[in-house]
Amino acid sequence: MTENLVTIDDLSIHFPLGRRVFGPPPVVKAVDHVSLNIPKGSFVGLVGESGSGKTTLGRAILKAAPITSGSIRYADGEVDYDVGSLSGDALRDYRKRAQLIFQDPYAALSPRMTVRDIIAEPLEVMGLTKNREETDARVREIAGKCRLNLEHLRRFPHAFSGGQRQRISIARALVSGPSFVVADEAVAALDVSIQADILNLLKSLQHELDLTFLFISHDLSVVAHVCDYVVVMYHGVIMEEAPTRELFANPKHDYTKTLLSAIPSLDPDDRHRARVYAPEG
Amino acid sequence: MSAPVISVRDLTIRFKTDEGLITAVENVSYDIAPGEILGVVGESGSGKSVSAKALMRLNGGNTVYDPASKITLNVPGEAPVSVLELQRERDMRQVRGGAISMIFQEPMASFAPAITVGDQMVEQLMLHTDMTRKQARAHSIDMLNRVGIPEPAKRFDQYAFEFSGGMRQRAMIAMALSTSPKLLIADEPTTALDVTIQAQVIDLMHDLVAEYGMAILFITHDLGVIAQTADRVAVMYLGRILETGSVRDVIRNPAHAYTQGLINALPKLDDLDAPLTPIPGDIPSPLERPKGCVFHPRNTQLAPGSRYEREVPPMTEVSPGHFAALFPEDVARAG
Repeated sequence: MTENLVTIDDLSIHFPLGRRVFGPPPVVKAVDHVSLNIPKGSFVGLVGESGSGKTTLGRAILKAAPITSGSIRYADGEVDYDVGSLSGDALRDYRKRAQLIFQDPYAALSPRMTVRDIIAEPLEVMGLTKNREETDARVREIAGKCRLNLEHLRRFPHAFSGGQRQRISIARALVSGPSFVVADEAVAALDVSIQADILNLLKSLQHELDLTFLFISHDLSVVAHVCDYVVVMYHGVIMEEAPTRELFANPKHDYTKTLLSAIPSLDPDDRHRARVYAPEG
Repeated sequence: MSAPVISVRDLTIRFKTDEGLITAVENVSYDIAPGEILGVVGESGSGKSVSAKALMRLNGGNTVYDPASKITLNVPGEAPVSVLELQRERDMRQVRGGAISMIFQEPMASFAPAITVGDQMVEQLMLHTDMTRKQARAHSIDMLNRVGIPEPAKRFDQYAFEFSGGMRQRAMIAMALSTSPKLLIADEPTTALDVTIQAQVIDLMHDLVAEYGMAILFITHDLGVIAQTADRVAVMYLGRILETGSVRDVIRNPAHAYTQGLINALPKLDDLDAPLTPIPGDIPSPLERPKGCVFHPRNTQLAPGSRYEREVPPMTEVSPGHFAALFPEDVARAG
């Protein structure tokens, strides 16, 4: 039994929708009474369609979304944080330990900085290294682990393809030495031939650097291949969670079944009409 | 066998840029018959959208069509139209929204935000048909109904932002089909949609082909979507078709290393232990177009110094109706 790195207890995140003349203002329940454990060393997939609250949940864990009620606890053996109430030095320390990989490698990298500076920025902002030599050594180490060509560090991001850019943004996320990484649609913007490469890289980095991943994705087949545990969200609520094999072999919830049947099969003879998920009420 | 609705021959498209002439599409040929769905699959930079836009002459002012390129539109009962020879803007109307309609990836970007969906549908009907405003309204509401939009009369007077993503894409399809086009170009029509909505839109496309018998050119990067929708498929890479044939043949027995690579790179649900095999290397920049077979720098099956590095392989028949950009000796060996 491994311990939990992140423990989410009855978490709700509601956003108000302006004001109304009559009655209380309506709210969007982006995340509604969600409880979830992320064990240390796991690769947890969080799937759902647009508006399911998967991104909001991921951001809340990184303290980048406001928490309405409930709690998020982060405990990696060195520190034990109640994420919602972090501030000051503790929050700065948490930023080092929990990081985010973005979806779009074209938007996430500043075109005016060299690759070296992009990767080094978190170290400099967080003051994790003492001098330039140490920063450079750390940048080269992580760039090597992300299979970046070290000669490319002096170039600007426009010179790179989507796959290489995503490797740069992974290196940037990992340079501070986090133990928890939220990857929000990290391969969704990539071409198929490159997507596989990035997925393999994430898996090997997980083992090499002892990382725990929350892998947010709308793509069930990708999740099936990289994650060992899958959580299905719909309208802010967890519909089903199970170890990957179990979930795909034997989905219990009607919504999960609808989602699975909607994945376009590669077999041209396996064509069937779409299932429609119609919750009661 | 009826005559193809659209016939594309040796289509080569270049763009004039500051860095010189860039080849986006090279020697692309295909036909689409009425009632047929041709899927074009390719990654970014494969030229799949550029080649489709050429059918409606929608590429920008810096586009150069090679003189040998030919696109012929055949509408039954009318003289064939040579699309690339159209000169005046008003002549292009017959291929823009008349005989050919197009739907796009992002339906929100394709509707004007400050005009009701209904007014936009009526506007194009008044342009392309002799309907009166009243007839156009009735026809538009009928079309919204046919694509499965509930309460079409109410929806007609709403704005695009009041529609959900799936509804918007349905409205887009209704609008594209209301002029009864002979060819519908669908450019990544399901890419921005959730999987459950995607499955419904794919169903809708099948229903509409069955009902109206138009041809569809279906562009996507997703081989799974192609397998579910298309009759035939063309696999494009860096502006060239590398393989084409029936969906069954191409997906089950891919002959070209690129098609094989694409299929191997896809995560498959029936075998979760299968390793994901990326295609080595990156898609080259359009400025560094490889000589010979455009895929050869990433093709690990080739021995160094092979013909593919210098010569462009012809489209060779692998099995009846199934062609791949391979030299005949390689096809014989494979078969």
